[in-house]
Amino acid sequence: MPNLNVQGVTKRYGKFVAVNNISFDAKPGRILGLLGPNGAGKTTTIRMITFITIPDEGEIRYGESMVGEKSQEKMGYLPEERGLYKKMKVGEQLMYFAELKGMGKAEARDRIRYWLDRFGALEWVGKKTNELSKGMQQKIQFIATILHNPSLLILDEPFGGLDPINAELLQDVIMELKDEGRTILFASHRMEQVEQLCDDICLISKGEIIVKGALSDIKRQFGKNTILMDFEGPDAFLDELVSKGAVRLGSRSTRHAELNLLGGTTPKQILEMALPHVSNITRFELVEPPMREIFVTAVSRQQSQQASTTV
Amino acid sequence: MSRNKIFVVAKNEFLKRVKTRWFVFTTLLGPIVMVGFFTVVGIVTATSLETNEKVISLRDETSRLESEFVDPSGKITFKATDSSDDELKKLVLSGDISGYLVLPNGLIEGTESARYYSTEGGGISNFSGDLRSIVRDAVRLVRLEDQAVSREVFEIINANVSLDSIQLSDAGEEQGSTAAYAIVGGIMGFLIYITMLVYGSVVMQGVIEEKTSRVVEIIISSVKPFQLLMGKVLGIGAMGLVQMSFWAILIAAGTTFSGAIIGLIGPPTGSNLPDTATQAEILDSIGFTIPDLGPEVFIWFVLFFLMGYLLYATLFAGIGSAVEQQQDAQSLMLPVMMPIIVSIMFLQAVLEAPNSTLSVALSLFPFTAPIPMVVRIAMIDVPFWQIALSFSLLVGAFLGAVWVSSRIYRIGILSYGKKPSLKELIRWLRYA
Repeated sequence: MPNLNVQGVTKRYGKFVAVNNISFDAKPGRILGLLGPNGAGKTTTIRMITFITIPDEGEIRYGESMVGEKSQEKMGYLPEERGLYKKMKVGEQLMYFAELKGMGKAEARDRIRYWLDRFGALEWVGKKTNELSKGMQQKIQFIATILHNPSLLILDEPFGGLDPINAELLQDVIMELKDEGRTILFASHRMEQVEQLCDDICLISKGEIIVKGALSDIKRQFGKNTILMDFEGPDAFLDELVSKGAVRLGSRSTRHAELNLLGGTTPKQILEMALPHVSNITRFELVEPPMREIFVTAVSRQQSQQASTTV
Repeated sequence: MSRNKIFVVAKNEFLKRVKTRWFVFTTLLGPIVMVGFFTVVGIVTATSLETNEKVISLRDETSRLESEFVDPSGKITFKATDSSDDELKKLVLSGDISGYLVLPNGLIEGTESARYYSTEGGGISNFSGDLRSIVRDAVRLVRLEDQAVSREVFEIINANVSLDSIQLSDAGEEQGSTAAYAIVGGIMGFLIYITMLVYGSVVMQGVIEEKTSRVVEIIISSVKPFQLLMGKVLGIGAMGLVQMSFWAILIAAGTTFSGAIIGLIGPPTGSNLPDTATQAEILDSIGFTIPDLGPEVFIWFVLFFLMGYLLYATLFAGIGSAVEQQQDAQSLMLPVMMPIIVSIMFLQAVLEAPNSTLSVALSLFPFTAPIPMVVRIAMIDVPFWQIALSFSLLVGAFLGAVWVSSRIYRIGILSYGKKPSLKELIRWLRYA
């Protein structure tokens, strides 16, 4: 199955540069996490890949040829802001989406049955959309995205509105689709899911790519600089560490803390600081930073750099 | 490939709507409502005509005119009286008499006017016209008598003088039915007006619904916005065509059997037609001739309706894409609606003078053309070059509208939040 190749792409709206000269690849059988703060340019990028809009500069190729009407039929796009025709029946609606993707009726009918069954939704086929709950609509939308057997999937927040059981079902299906060799673009703000699902990462901020590569490589680059600590007793020492500038707290609860080592602080120093205060330590581990940490660090670094260059 | 997708969208739009209860309801009940409306109007008119018999008190101060007062239709009964104004006024107000007529002394010399008192005032009704001619005839008879002119001379002068309008055309001459042609033309023009607005706003609603339900982003990752726009306009147009065809068949059936229907309701009063009277004879007896329209009139009617619908539906779709609520569309629609409103405002003028410069200009300018052109084609022989030019300009305007609307549409359907101004819409045209 083909590669998706984004090469030097820029998109402007009037004077505003939404995406500035970005390049990345998405490979078959892998999930690429497309990350970034709100308004970073993710949706703009996705819309150019799906051929909804066209880049001002640069080119986007899927396989040998530029994206266009041909590649649209091989793509399945689940937008973040999504909806269905309220008064159409589930079956008719899915059939319409399949026909728009150029699918034959008989084949579409079989696949609609298969996927509705897979998501335990076969009995909804004759129901109108506005009779369904939000979670049910969510599943129907996902089915609409994969119905035509696309080799490139673009999923923008696919887990929104799903309960844990359905989220797990969806995750299984996504992994299955990946194992079949499809290329998957996954945009999300939920870093735990990104961490669980993604093989590669592309982090965009203010229209530019600031971090890009395999998730494991990126983590290694950032180094083992995070301590996960579970303890019992008072936690005032954490505030002391922060005020000294020795660490930054990633997350914190009554008996757990995630500390990022700053300015050459060593794990040993942390341990020495903690011991006099706490009554017990049940976990003390040096790990690679979680995705959330990489996200925050990279974005704030870029923004402070931009602030200093504009002054 | 691309034409195929327009077809898929059009088919979905068509089926989705045709299958609704609303569609079945309006298609079946539309004519019933219309027939019901005309029946009610007919019954009301008929009953008001029957109660038209009036009793009028007549105070003849000249003492010479009274004997000449006869209503040829027999609906007005005159009762001579000497009562004073006050007494007569009471009778009028109590409803005992319809009114009273005073003929002053100076009436015969023409120095004074006859005065009619009633609760209804004068107005321009048939009745006051009838009354005036009764008074006039009586006064003239007395005046001629004074000059010793015999009654026969009056009869001769008063003998019927009539004027028939005959319409000349290349096909020959046709007599008497200019009014009927105008009625048919007016109905056709009005039908185009209503359907253009109704189906156009259905398109706009569809666009707004697709946008607010956010389904549009899924759709345009499969088809080009242009294909979605065209599919929508064509699919809803097909729905409109089905509905109109159904009604047209009903109307055709209605006119074919109208004689029989009128016969069923009861033969027109005062007609002495035999039971074997043909339909034309029955219709003639009530003073209506079915205009003899050539098929080309209907062909042009359909073509101008279709192009007019396509032009405006396309523009409405563009507007719909820019807003999120129906109400927000109002201010943007006004400039688009202006030409339609102008063309319906001048409908009367076109009906009265289908060959005037105004009529020709309105029927050539593409944004106003559909209504006046169809009216003119139904009424007179419009030179072929005018029809051809008008239609070509209309097609050109439609293509222009597609260009403008698809650009606005492409940006509009993905723009949420603030409602754009007309200025912003124009700026969208420049985005590639």
